[in-house]
Amino acid sequence: MFFTKKKKTPRDPTIEHLADIVGKKSILYKKEDLLSYDCDGFTIHKAIPKAVVFPKDTAEVAAVVKYCSAHKMPFLARGAGTGLSGGAIPLNGEVIISLVKMKNLLSVDFENRQAVVQPGFVNLKLTNSIADKGYYYAPDPSSQYVCTIGGNVAENAGGAHCLKYGVTTNHILGLEVVLPDGEIIEISENGLPDAPGYDLLGLLTGSEGTLGIVTKITVRILKNPEGKQTVLAYFDDVENGSQAVSDIISAGIVPAALEMMDKTAIEGVEAGTYPVGHPDDIEALLLIEVDGIITGIAEQIEEIMNVCRRWNVREVKVAESEEERGRWWANRKTGFGAMGAISPDYLVQDGVIPRSKLPEVLRNIRKISEESELRIANIFHAGDGNLHPLILFDSRKPGETEKALKAGSDCLKACADVGGSITGEHGVGIEKIEEMRFIFTEEELEAQTNVRDVFNPDGLLNSGKLFPTPSRCMDVKKVM
Amino acid sequence: MAVEMKEQQTNNEPPCTSNSLSNYLWDDHPDEEKWADCVHCGMCLESCPTYLETGQEQHSPRGRVHLIKSVAEGKLEVNEHFMDPVFQCLDCRACTTACPADVDVGGLIEEARGQIRQAMPLKGWKGVVSRLFLKDLFPHKNRLNGVGGILKFYQKSGLQKAVRKSGALKVMPKHLVEMESIMPPIQQSVQKKYKDVDVIPASSKPKARVAMLTGCIMDVMFADINQSTINVLTYNGNEVVLPKNQTCCGALHVHAGDRGTGKKLAKQNIEAFRDAEKVIVNAAGCGCALKEYPELFRNDPEWKEKAEEFTKKVEDISKYLYDTGYEKPHSKLNKRITYHDACHLAHGQGIRHEPRKLLNDINGVEYVEQPNADMCCGSAGIYNITNPEMAGAVLERKMENVPRDVEMISMGNPGCMLQMAIGVQKYGRRAEIVHTVQLLDWAYQQDQKNGLGTSDDKQTIAAREG
Ligand SMILES: Cc1cc2nc3c(=O)[nH]c(=O)nc-3n(C[C@H](O)[C@H](O)[C@H](O)COP(=O)(O)OP(=O)(O)OC[C@H]3O[C@@H](n4cnc5c(N)ncnc54)[C@H](O)[C@@H]3O)c2cc1C
Ligand code: SF4
Ligand code: SF4
Repeated sequence: MFFTKKKKTPRDPTIEHLADIVGKKSILYKKEDLLSYDCDGFTIHKAIPKAVVFPKDTAEVAAVVKYCSAHKMPFLARGAGTGLSGGAIPLNGEVIISLVKMKNLLSVDFENRQAVVQPGFVNLKLTNSIADKGYYYAPDPSSQYVCTIGGNVAENAGGAHCLKYGVTTNHILGLEVVLPDGEIIEISENGLPDAPGYDLLGLLTGSEGTLGIVTKITVRILKNPEGKQTVLAYFDDVENGSQAVSDIISAGIVPAALEMMDKTAIEGVEAGTYPVGHPDDIEALLLIEVDGIITGIAEQIEEIMNVCRRWNVREVKVAESEEERGRWWANRKTGFGAMGAISPDYLVQDGVIPRSKLPEVLRNIRKISEESELRIANIFHAGDGNLHPLILFDSRKPGETEKALKAGSDCLKACADVGGSITGEHGVGIEKIEEMRFIFTEEELEAQTNVRDVFNPDGLLNSGKLFPTPSRCMDVKKVM
Repeated sequence: MAVEMKEQQTNNEPPCTSNSLSNYLWDDHPDEEKWADCVHCGMCLESCPTYLETGQEQHSPRGRVHLIKSVAEGKLEVNEHFMDPVFQCLDCRACTTACPADVDVGGLIEEARGQIRQAMPLKGWKGVVSRLFLKDLFPHKNRLNGVGGILKFYQKSGLQKAVRKSGALKVMPKHLVEMESIMPPIQQSVQKKYKDVDVIPASSKPKARVAMLTGCIMDVMFADINQSTINVLTYNGNEVVLPKNQTCCGALHVHAGDRGTGKKLAKQNIEAFRDAEKVIVNAAGCGCALKEYPELFRNDPEWKEKAEEFTKKVEDISKYLYDTGYEKPHSKLNKRITYHDACHLAHGQGIRHEPRKLLNDINGVEYVEQPNADMCCGSAGIYNITNPEMAGAVLERKMENVPRDVEMISMGNPGCMLQMAIGVQKYGRRAEIVHTVQLLDWAYQQDQKNGLGTSDDKQTIAAREG
């Protein structure tokens, strides 16, 4: 590989062993190299891993896992490291098993509309590889340019177009998994849906890398819709915008996507790399996409425009070209990152609420922002009530990180209080571990950890994530 | 040369304590504001050739920014392990395009390299090569011309053939052999040719006067491209001046961490082009460097202001022609051509559309867009000399994207031309490597030969509005 100097043979027996499995060039163990792996897209906690290994196939993954398991050494899986809840952070000095070298598209079966990929295969690449045949892969997290399908499975990732087509779990047909003891299992080997017995696919998907390491994935692919149209609507008032969202859905329309941004978010995306030229004095915008059979689309668009007008929209327009549509989406999809242009740090929250509560919760979030004196931008999947308050802060200012964490937690509380949930798609990870108590009782949590213990009895795989344990959670919070 | 030298720092002197930042001991350290923009989202990962190649975070833009920040936080020292990821960066700026927060990764890398080079000056053969090229050659026109002369002699005398036959090349490292085999034929330098001409007149009704950067290596190894640029400019009503005391743009020095020399050269150029209204550049890397002079002087308000004034005048040849209008050639160039986006044009200067438009305005061009046209070819200044393995891997990826049946690959950067020529040769392709202005020049010359096209021709492509 690309090192100018010859690597010295490592002395540490663990490193030597791991290097024997994956090859000397596929392991990192020096402090300087490990530092880049001290966090993922969630930067508030940091910890240095024991080593990072880059297996090239399932057998190597299994061998590494077996070694770790036999030596009671904690380990975890990592994809692109874009997770927003800290799932890939090596809190316990884990051996990180990076799956980025397993990045091939193994096969595509157009007839049966499925594809088999390795876990490190990047989400958008799947659509790009089959687009010329008129197919695509539906789950489209905003991070799809870089995040891996393995990571998507672990987080049960959603995206703008999941309103109509469902999140990752609705598109997974089969998995190959290395269990925490190194055993390799196949779930639903030939991709047949609804196999009898327990829904293990459903259990594994969204388990945040705590039950096993996914090494092969069979996914559903879809035929491109016949047509699609996109509407952009500007509102002078957030409540009007939220009401429009409610009415569009209650009118029986199922848009492919229904996204909302508030004023602070708009300031961010306009300062970022993909500005669209949104007016700077509007309070909210909606980005709505309708797709399907061409004949129905115009009618739905008309109805959407009417609903917006009924709620005093300032301006509403349909994308005139694919290029314009592309620009609107690039602006939206790079929204989180664009916050870097207006704030040194951000914390993304990820609450879910009943749509009807949107105005109320947004009001409460504004209150939290005022009380904490931190700006909060909202950029989210309004159609399915999946909020993403982005708390803007500056970690260099003493005390501000804590304030941001508190504000984030308060936002989740506001969601839970109206009967919602604390995560829609980003997962619990380390970040929302305490907030699990907002929605689950001690018994409910225990029932779930019992399930985890069946797969992961020694707690070596990605421990300290997803579920609070009375002692552990206090430790974690103190790390900051 | 009325250039102040107070900016220059000497290597390895005791660090200037007042301006150090944690483990960055020297002045002009990486800029906190730049990394504060990075939110660690990872959206840049897949754009980065070195990450695609290694899959390792420390070889990604996000990882590099993280490490640069870690040194400032005292978690890491400026040592070999820090150097590796910082110097493996191709400086291709693909991350700048991909990053939603507009993080200036390139600027940070260059600043970090400045620190590394002061803490750990290059030793061994790399030190020799880098000193030879950067200190002893590029800043000195006369010496370069001398080298040009030697190269010309080497090629013309048959010595090149002899050396190739004799197998003497076998003892050179592989990548140097590859370089040798694609060395372009040396023409006469335009600086020499026009040394007694103050203003090269327009060949049609004059509409503007522009100055041109002739470059260091450009005017020696690629004199024909400079000549084509002059031809195309004058054909379209531009008088061209070639300021005599202009010098190397300094890009390679800044990329290599020698910011001191970079600043010195920058000052000389700013002075040399003081009277110019436009500075036309035909090498993407140089153009990008000139446009980034203000960053070099971020701690020097006086020169920063001068640099900002200067930067406004700098324009790539393709964009200048596109903006000011040019005549559509009549002659037909019946070739199948693809375009390669030089990193420092596409990512560095946001120029993508203009050169493609020029190509498509030439009759008979069958234009083929290549996938990932803006992916680095691995040339990156002298990167292909200092990091041959990575450069080779990046080139391989590039060549996979170049359509097999094209007859020409056009681009706007000499460094890329050399690297792509290696690619064509190594992977058994037949495509010719050309600079976009060369094709336009060729077509105009055909027109003139055949008595086609005059300045008041109806087909003039109008200047772009605004
Ligand atoms: C700018 C930005 C925008 C985002 N937008 C969205 C969005 O719209 N919707 C959304 O749902 N998410 C979004 N995310 C969050 C993130 O991209 C997703 O959670 C994604 O699925 C993570 O994939 P990854 O490859 O980066 O995984 P990582 O971050 O590397 O890992 C995430 C978790 O998955 C586990 N894991 C990774 N690979 C495997 C595997 N092969 N087997 C078992 N466990 C594994 C890890 O242990 C970790 O717990 C966004 C993130 C960013 C930075
Ligand atoms: S450089 Fe830009 S794209 Fe990359 S991690 Fe930082 S903010 Fe994100
Ligand atoms: S400049 Fe190029 S090589 Fe360097 S970090 Fe950015 S994308 Fe990677």
